Amino acid sequence: MKKHSVFSICLLLMVMVCLLVVVPVSHAGKTLKIGIVDCYSGPASTYTNDVRDAFNMEAEKINAAGGILGRQVEVLTRDSKFKVDIGLSAAKELIYRENVDILMGTINSALALAISDMCKKEKVPFFATFSKSAKITGEKGHRYVFSITENTALAGKAAAVGLAKKPYMKYWIAGDDYEYGHAIADGVWNNLKTLKPGVELLGQSWWKVGEPDFTPYITAILSAKPDAVIVATGGRDCVPFLKAAKATGFNERVPFFMHTATELSTLKPLGLDAPEGVIGTSNYFFYYPETPANQDFVKNFENAYQRKPAVGAVYGLLTARYIFGAFEKAGAIDTEKFIDNVEGMTVDSPIGKVTMRAFDHQAMLPMYMGVTRKKAGYDFLVADEIMTIPGDAVMPSIEEIKKARKQ
Amino acid sequence: MYKALFDMKTTFIGLVLLALLLMLPQFLPRFYVYLFALMFAIALLATSLNLVLGFGGMYQFHHAVFYGFGAYAFALFATKSGLPLWLGYAIAPCCSAALGLVLGLITVRLNKLYFGMLQISLGSLVWAITYRWYSFTGGDDGIHGIPLPDLVGSSVGAYYFNLTVAAVCLLLMYAIVSSPFGRVFQGIRDNPERCRAIGINVQRQQLVGQTIAAFFAGVAGTLFVTVEGSVFPDLMFWTLSLEILIMCLLGGWFIFLGPALGAAMIICLRTFAGIYTEYWTLILGLVLMLLIFFLPEGVLGLFLHKAGPAVRRER
Amino acid sequence: MELTANITLAALLQQVLVGLSRTTILFIVASGLSLVLGVLRIPNVAHGSLYMTGAFVTYSVATLFGQSALGFWLALIVAPLVVALLSFLVERAVFCHLYEREHMMLLLFTFAFSLVIGDLVKLVWGSDYRSLVAPVFLQGSFSISGFPFPRYNLFLLVIGPLVAAGLWFLTNKTKIGKIARAAAVDREMVGAIGINVSWVFAAVFVIGCYLAGLGGALVAPTQNITQGMDHAIIIEAFLIVIIGGLGNIWGALLGALIFGLTDSIGILLWPQFAIVFPYVAVVTVLLFRPKGLLKSTW
Repeated sequence: MKKHSVFSICLLLMVMVCLLVVVPVSHAGKTLKIGIVDCYSGPASTYTNDVRDAFNMEAEKINAAGGILGRQVEVLTRDSKFKVDIGLSAAKELIYRENVDILMGTINSALALAISDMCKKEKVPFFATFSKSAKITGEKGHRYVFSITENTALAGKAAAVGLAKKPYMKYWIAGDDYEYGHAIADGVWNNLKTLKPGVELLGQSWWKVGEPDFTPYITAILSAKPDAVIVATGGRDCVPFLKAAKATGFNERVPFFMHTATELSTLKPLGLDAPEGVIGTSNYFFYYPETPANQDFVKNFENAYQRKPAVGAVYGLLTARYIFGAFEKAGAIDTEKFIDNVEGMTVDSPIGKVTMRAFDHQAMLPMYMGVTRKKAGYDFLVADEIMTIPGDAVMPSIEEIKKARKQ
Repeated sequence: MYKALFDMKTTFIGLVLLALLLMLPQFLPRFYVYLFALMFAIALLATSLNLVLGFGGMYQFHHAVFYGFGAYAFALFATKSGLPLWLGYAIAPCCSAALGLVLGLITVRLNKLYFGMLQISLGSLVWAITYRWYSFTGGDDGIHGIPLPDLVGSSVGAYYFNLTVAAVCLLLMYAIVSSPFGRVFQGIRDNPERCRAIGINVQRQQLVGQTIAAFFAGVAGTLFVTVEGSVFPDLMFWTLSLEILIMCLLGGWFIFLGPALGAAMIICLRTFAGIYTEYWTLILGLVLMLLIFFLPEGVLGLFLHKAGPAVRRER
Repeated sequence: MELTANITLAALLQQVLVGLSRTTILFIVASGLSLVLGVLRIPNVAHGSLYMTGAFVTYSVATLFGQSALGFWLALIVAPLVVALLSFLVERAVFCHLYEREHMMLLLFTFAFSLVIGDLVKLVWGSDYRSLVAPVFLQGSFSISGFPFPRYNLFLLVIGPLVAAGLWFLTNKTKIGKIARAAAVDREMVGAIGINVSWVFAAVFVIGCYLAGLGGALVAPTQNITQGMDHAIIIEAFLIVIIGGLGNIWGALLGALIFGLTDSIGILLWPQFAIVFPYVAVVTVLLFRPKGLLKSTW
C-alpha cells in the first residue's frame, strides 16, 4: 500500500513538472532577449546592482526609440546568490528555456568561467561584466566570450605603471589568500619588476578571505619596514582592511596600494572615517573626468536611481552599447555576424571612446590611479592626483595572450 | 531475492514510471531534460543520506562532504590523469567511501549531536583544505570545462546516463535496506541498547552504513559532474548538507523514495521561484518552518497517515 | 609553505592580545548559544542571524544619531534589546510549542528560520555594505612595544570579562539562574514543584538571543556589516559550544579562548593554513573529550 502511494505521488509530481512547461516563458512576439546572471544577494550586490541598472537605462532608451531592428529589448535577470551551482543552473534556464540571444554577468569569477565554457558549447555570446579573472579572455578565452571589465592582468599592469613612477624600492605584498588576491599581486609585481628592475620584495603576508582582524598582519608588515605595500584584497575585504589601516594608523606610517581603494563602493560606506593617502586604481569615478559625457551620465543615473553611479554602471553601459551597436551594424539577429561586428568596435562612454580588441575580446578600458583624500563637498573620501593610464598601455600583448591560450 | 523485495503490483507500477521517464526526453523541452538529469543526481544524494539518517538514525550533519569529495575526485581524475573516463566513474565513489570510512572511524564512537558536530568539524576541515589548495583543486575557482564525451555530456545523454545510474543505485540501496544488514541497521536506530545486548557490534554496523552511504554520495557527485561539467568548493559546504537534510525531511525520511521526492521538490522550488523573486530563500524558509511545525512526518506523512516504524524520540 | 620568520616576544604578545579580543566576541555569541542549547536543548542555527541583525540594528541606531559617540553607546544598549524583543515574540509564538520535538527537527527548523531572517534583513536594509565608526574615544591605537594595538580591541578585552562575570552572577547567584540550571537537568521535576517552566524557558531563550545581539553590536565597528555574517559566525559558535560543554558558560569561555588563540597563533606560525588550526584543535579536543572539556548539562 505504502509503495504504491509513493509511486503515485512520483507520477503526480512528474505530471506537475511537465505542466510547468506551460509556465509563461515570457512575452509572446519577438523580442531581443538579454539574460543577466549575477549575485544580487549579499555584499556583492552593491557592485552588481549598478551594472544591471545602467544596462536597463540604456535598454529603455533604445526601446523608446523603437528597439533594435524592430524588436524591443527584454532584460531578464537571475540571482546566483554567489553560488556557482545556482548560477550555472540559472544560466542554463536562460539559454534553454528563455532562449536568450545574449548572456551577461557575473561578479563571481568561478561562475563566469563556468558560464563561459557553457556558452562556447551553446554558441551564445557571453559578456563578462564584473569578474576579474584574467583567464576569461586570456587562457580560457574563445570566440563567444567578451569582457567589458578590467581583470587582474590589466589592473596589475596599470598599477605597475603608476607605481613605477613613485620612488619606492622595497615592497611588501599582502592580501586575501585566494585566486583573485594572488592574481592581482602577481599582476602588479611582475609588471613592476619589468618596468623597474631595482625593486625588491621583502616578504609576503596572506590572510583568509573575511579575516576578522588585520592587526597582527599590519604589525608584521610594519616591523619589516618596507617603502610601500601592495595590498591585494578582494571586494569584501577592502572596507575592513581600510578600517583597520585607519585604526592602527597604518596609512600614516607606510604608503600602500590597494586596487579599487579609490572606488565609490569602497569609500562611500566608510564616510569620512576612511584613511587618507591610500593609492588606488579604478576604472571610473563619477567626478572625473569632468566631461559633458560623464556629467550627463551621472545626472541621468542619479535621476533614475537616486544614487551616484559607481564603476559597475559604466560596465553596464558599455555592455549595452556594444550589444545594441553591434546588432544594428550587423543588420540581423545573427550570432556570428554579431560577434564579427563587436570585434574591434569602438563605442562612446563617460570615460571616452572604448574599443573592443578583436583578438581576445577584451575591452580596452583606461585605468585611473589616484590617492584618497578628504575634499570639501563630499561626505566620503575621493581620489586626488589622478593619473590616467590609457587602455592600450595596460593590455597584455597579443603574444602573451597567444601563449596563455597555447596557440 | 528479487521476488522477496517486490511484489507484482509494485513491479508493474515501477516499470510504468520507468517507461515514462525513459520517454520524457522525446517531448520535453531541453531545459526540463537538464533539470530532470540534475534531479536524478540529487535524488540519489538525498537517498544516500537517508540510508544513515532515516534508516540508521545517525545525525549525519555533513553528508555533502562525501558528495563533493566524489565530485572532485571524478573531476580531478577526468582532467589530470589521462586514464579512460569510465574508470573515473568507478574510482570516485570508492574515494568517497574511503573518506566515509576514515571519518566514520573517528566519529562513530560518539552518538547523536556529538557525532553530528564532530562530523561537521571534520567535514569543514576537508572543505577548508580543498578551498585553499588552489594549485591542485583550483581552490575557490573550482574546476570547469570537464571533458565528457557527448554520449554522457549532452543534455539527453546526461539524462539517460543519470537515470540509469540513479535507478540502479536506488535499487541496490533498497536491497541493502531490506537485507539482514539493513534490518539490523534499523534495529540499531530504534534501540541500540537492545542490539548491544544481543551481541551486535553497533559501532561496526554504523561504520559500514556510513561507508556505504558515502559511496553512493560519491556516485551522486559523479552524476553532478556529468550534468554540470564543473566542480567547486560549495559542493562540500555545510549549508548544502543542511539542504540535503531538508530534502529528506520534506519528502519524509521513514520511506524509501521520500528523500528523492524531497529533492525534486526543492530543485523545482529553487528553479521556478527564482524566476519570479530574488527572495525565494525567504519563501523556502517559511514553507519549511510551517512544514516542521505542522507536519513532523513530512509531506508523505500527510498522505500516508500511519507512517512506518516511527523514528525514535530523543530523551 | 611559509613560516613567518621573526617571531619576537612583542609580536607574540600582540598576537595573543588580538586573539583575546577576538575571544570576547566569540565568547559572547557562543555563551548565548550554549545557554539555549544547554537549557532548552535547541541547536539554534538562527543564532548567527540574530547576531547579524544585532549588527545591522546597531548601525541603524548609531547612524540615526550621526554615528556619534552617543549614538554608538545608545546603539550598544538598544540593539541587543531589539534582538531580545524579537526573539521573545518568536519564542512565544512558535518555539514554545516545539520543545518536545526531536533535535534534528529543531535544527532544521532554526535553519529555516535563519533563512527567513537572512532575507528579511536584506529586505529591510538592502544588500549594500554598511560600515560603522567607533566613537572617537575608541578610535586609533595604543603603542605596545612599538606595535599598534587598536583601542577598540582593548575595549573588547575589558568588556569580555565583564560579560562573563555578569553571566556567572546571573546563572549562579540569582534565583532565575538556579531554576534555569535545574530545568536544564530535569524539566519535569522543576515543573512538578510548581514553577512555570515555560516562562523560565522563555527567559533563557531571550537572554541567549540578547547575547547574540550584543555580540553583533560589539563587532559592528570592526567589520563589514553585510549578509553572510550569520554563516561565518554560526559554525564557529557551534564548535566552541561543543568543545566547551553544552550549557556551560565557562566551557564557552574556554572554547572561545582555544578557538581565538589557535587562530591567532596559527597566523604567526603558518599563515596560509591558519584557517585549519582551530578545526584541528576542535577535532583533537573531541577525540579525547567527546562531551566537551567541561561538564555539560546533558
